[in-house]
Amino acid sequence: MSEKLIEVKHLKKYFNTPAGILHAVDDVNFEIPQGKTLGVVGESGCGKSTLGRTLLQLDAPTEGEILFKGTNLVTVGRKEMRCIRPKIQMVFQDPYASLNGRMNVRQLIAEPLIVNKVCKNKRELEDRVSGMMETVGLAERLSMAYPHELDGGRRQRIGIARALILEPEFVICDEPVSALDVSIQAQILNLLMDLQEEMKLTYMFITHDLSVVRHISDEIMVMYLGKCVEKADAKEIFKNPVHPYTKALLAAIPIPSIESCHKERKLLRGEVVSPVNPASGCRFAARCPRAAESCRQGDIPFTEISPGHYCACSRIGEI
Amino acid sequence: MNKVLEVKNLSIQYKTDLETVYAVNSISFSLNAGETLGLVGETGAGKTTTALGIMGLLPERTGKVPSGEILFEEKDLLTLKEQDMMKIRGGKISMIFQDPMTALNPVLPVGKQIGEALLLHNTENLSNDEIEKKVEETLELVGIPKARKVEYPYQFSGGMRQRVVIAIALICNPNLLIADEPTTALDVTIQAQILSMICNLQRMYKTSVIMITHDLGVVAETCDKVAIMYAGEIVEYGTLGDIFTGEIHHPYTIGLFNSLPSLTKDSHRLHPIEGLMPDPTVKPEGCWFAPRCKYCTEQCKKQKPPVVEENGHQVRCHFPVHQKGVE
Repeated sequence: MSEKLIEVKHLKKYFNTPAGILHAVDDVNFEIPQGKTLGVVGESGCGKSTLGRTLLQLDAPTEGEILFKGTNLVTVGRKEMRCIRPKIQMVFQDPYASLNGRMNVRQLIAEPLIVNKVCKNKRELEDRVSGMMETVGLAERLSMAYPHELDGGRRQRIGIARALILEPEFVICDEPVSALDVSIQAQILNLLMDLQEEMKLTYMFITHDLSVVRHISDEIMVMYLGKCVEKADAKEIFKNPVHPYTKALLAAIPIPSIESCHKERKLLRGEVVSPVNPASGCRFAARCPRAAESCRQGDIPFTEISPGHYCACSRIGEI
Repeated sequence: MNKVLEVKNLSIQYKTDLETVYAVNSISFSLNAGETLGLVGETGAGKTTTALGIMGLLPERTGKVPSGEILFEEKDLLTLKEQDMMKIRGGKISMIFQDPMTALNPVLPVGKQIGEALLLHNTENLSNDEIEKKVEETLELVGIPKARKVEYPYQFSGGMRQRVVIAIALICNPNLLIADEPTTALDVTIQAQILSMICNLQRMYKTSVIMITHDLGVVAETCDKVAIMYAGEIVEYGTLGDIFTGEIHHPYTIGLFNSLPSLTKDSHRLHPIEGLMPDPTVKPEGCWFAPRCKYCTEQCKKQKPPVVEENGHQVRCHFPVHQKGVE
């Protein structure tokens, strides 16, 4: 077993809203070993992006610990955090909104280096930017181009270059491919996987696309309304999903094969309920086809049902 | 079977003083009553432009149709006057738009918006009370309690809003429904609900549907016929079986399937199509797909490929790939 790079313990993030307390992330625990990828899946509003932002300390957590190589990021001072942050980087979802339209490709990629005062002279800066452009597959002739001149795939490559230029160890990818077409999506996924091998990166990959997450992850965590409902090895979770929500999620994916033609499916009824002041018990109970009285009371423990496979469901044995 | 819609050699261009965008280039397809046609392609392939062309909603100044016919129930929609088109649009042909967040009027209660379609196409001279009743029925049909008709769009979630948009499209019992990426903005569990609802309603009313999507999974689940579009052309066209298990294929179709991460098979690397969609303002001499094609030859660069046909399964390529299935 390789060393844990990041360890999250009882992480909570609540937001105060006029309607009450919004439980965006509620008691989430996980760890990611060095060089591995944790996939985080869930529908919109399940708290997966908030989880990513909280890890980076872009939002301060309400409770809990985030250990990065043993240092608790929640309690370290601003100065120390400044030194750690280059090691943790983020690739954002929307390559159309996350780049400054007034900076050209070269300036965009150089910005993290300048902000962190990494390079001693201009020459070194230029070399590193050129090197990074080559790594992510941006042609040299594009260095003076502005984001609006580029397509989504190239823009996302800039986003990746910006995240990687500081040579991070841990990269949080927040839906990096969901705004892209399938053929471009495949190019970016390949790039991310190649870079992981080359630079020994550790990823947390946030997405709602289950086929993407299966492809890229070693371990998968399924979230529902701020809670982690199931966590297991990527192959295991697709083979033996245990939690009713994971099962429903897997059954809902349209599969591109002739067998799925006009197939009747078991549908999950209802919609995600509000995460504001959630009721006690299992958060999925309102939509769960198997919900019983016991599901609506008390905390549902996150139990290990087979080695490495965890699930939070009070009726595991029965279903 | 009677044809509801037949599109022949339709071309659509966007013309400005600076440039001409060749958005749709001589496409042909047809649709029988009760059938679903899937229009598949990536961003910029011309799917939405085709839909807007059929609806007669192209931008007035720039959108031009230099050639082609759109026969709907044997009438050419392109020759109709705007007044006559208005009677058909929203009544016999209706459309579900991609983004339910922006397709609705935020300051009108949803019941009013649904009733508006019927009020404009009131061929049976329904009274206001009858319209009101029909609105309630339609709401229940799409799975919204009728008491919510007085609410405003902001009070609905994304999936519920899409149901309202579908109710607007269906209230006049259209013969042709164009669904432009109806589930792209929604979560998978909600997507499954909406898709099965569209299919059930279609069966109930024998409506023909054009399903515009980039998701091949959605196509497999809902469509009878499929047209794969690339750079404004239909590169492969046939029944669902032809596309998924047929003998000949366009290299682009195969590339599209290979780009998808599989849910069942393990593969370390994906095999994307290299390069990008060509600039739609330049009409190349040969095949549009040639610069990205693995099997490209000199002939492909110079000569427009013919349509190869095998029992109605059409592939626009000089050298179609012979392989069973697409994977």
